[in-house]
Amino acid sequence: MNFSIVRTYSIAAKDMKELSKNMFVLTTAVMPFLFALMFGRQDDIPLVVHYLVINLTFASVTCFVQTALIAEEKEKKTLRSLMLSPATSTEILTGKSAVAAALTAATLVICMQITGYVPEGVYVYAGLAISLVFYLMVGLLLGLLARTLVEASVLILPVIFILGMGGLFIEFFQQYDIAAWLEYLPNFQLEYIAAAVGRGGGLADVSGYLLVITGWTVAAAVLTVAVYRKRTFIEE
Amino acid sequence: MSIIYMHQVSKYFGQEKALDGLDVEIGSGEIYGFLGPSGAGKTTTIHLLTGQMPITDGEAEVFGKPALQMKRRENLQRIGIMTEASGLYQRLTVQENLALFAKLYGVKQPKKRIDEVLELTGMQGDHKKLASKLSKGMTQRVLFARAVLHEPELLFLDEPTAALDPASSSRIHRGLKEMRERGTTIFLTTHDMQEAETLCDRVAFLDDGRVQLSDKPKLLRQAYADGTISVELKDGSAYSLQQTKDDAAKLADWIGSGRVAEVKTNLPTLGDIFIQTTGRELV
Repeated sequence: MNFSIVRTYSIAAKDMKELSKNMFVLTTAVMPFLFALMFGRQDDIPLVVHYLVINLTFASVTCFVQTALIAEEKEKKTLRSLMLSPATSTEILTGKSAVAAALTAATLVICMQITGYVPEGVYVYAGLAISLVFYLMVGLLLGLLARTLVEASVLILPVIFILGMGGLFIEFFQQYDIAAWLEYLPNFQLEYIAAAVGRGGGLADVSGYLLVITGWTVAAAVLTVAVYRKRTFIEE
Repeated sequence: MSIIYMHQVSKYFGQEKALDGLDVEIGSGEIYGFLGPSGAGKTTTIHLLTGQMPITDGEAEVFGKPALQMKRRENLQRIGIMTEASGLYQRLTVQENLALFAKLYGVKQPKKRIDEVLELTGMQGDHKKLASKLSKGMTQRVLFARAVLHEPELLFLDEPTAALDPASSSRIHRGLKEMRERGTTIFLTTHDMQEAETLCDRVAFLDDGRVQLSDKPKLLRQAYADGTISVELKDGSAYSLQQTKDDAAKLADWIGSGRVAEVKTNLPTLGDIFIQTTGRELV
């Protein structure tokens, strides 16, 4: 059977309604605004700060909202009811992702208004779009792994600290060899795309970074689909 | 045609055997009670029949198709499921919960149908209540309403009235009888023998992963009856009579002299038969 917009929209609308009453998730998702307000008062905001806010949005809004939506469905035993309804996996996951994506877009727009950052060039937008998919996938994966909302809020912490706030800690890690590896994380790669475009770089200058983010996204997607398929069976 | 057909079905969890050569055949429009104590394999059987778990050995078919295919959308549309693993969206109202599933199942005239299932379960006055504010009994009734919302041809119910108050149980029983009148086949697991006797056309006793006994409740009770008859006289004395000529003459004499207050055959309960068959209680 074909993909149903009605079913997908119904799932998204239901999630939006539930989320609007979930103070625990909403208070975490407010973090990027606080950072934007805190750093947005400076006269000359460096690129690293803009991308701190952007990456934090991806970690605490995109990823956490997605994780929380799935984990809560598992905790309240509603995910299995959804899976046993005629809604396909694609419809369920698209519906859920639509909510997290819409909230991310709204948060990014507002935060960028506060910090006064305007992404320039198609490559930066491409980087942002691929990053959005990456964080949606990681959110799904963590949601499927967590058994409860509380567990999800613990699992999200490394994502928030490493991917969301990595920019704050990178200087600390630069004295260790690990720093070279950390720079391949998608949050830093996204910032490098913006920096390269800012220096007037073209496709040749950003393609490596885009490929790395895409690689992370594909890996996250493969892992997520595998775990989701396993979860469609009762765990034995 | 059988709606459910299981032949020599086995299920292992690692080395542990949960089902051991299960044979079950259920016809259209039947209420089939699967009775057994906790851990007997009742829920596992539902998981297998709804395609949520693969079988280890044997054949399991639903609507003439392998049970594992029940996960497909066109098959899910034909079945309704209510198990312990069913939940409601706590921040949504009863109406919103039902409306979501009406859309997912593509229910025609959803408003009318939601009103019907609310009426069926006696929840019509509570449709605006948040799911988080419902009692256990009300939650079960809404879950039942959701399971029958799309008028499934086959309904799987796993202990639908466990730990419910009599009023909620009675509502669900009424709903089940109405579903049967509409031709729905119902696969019901329970360890409530009274419920099984009242509702089921046939019952099966499941123990150690095997069906130990299966038949119509009344026939089972007659088959396991000891043949004695209890008689209570108006003076308060009680007797247990055998079906012999002497006792028949005694009874005829009491009836003739107008002394009999009550006569009944001593039929065992399904619970008694279960203990007799398996040596275990239904707990």
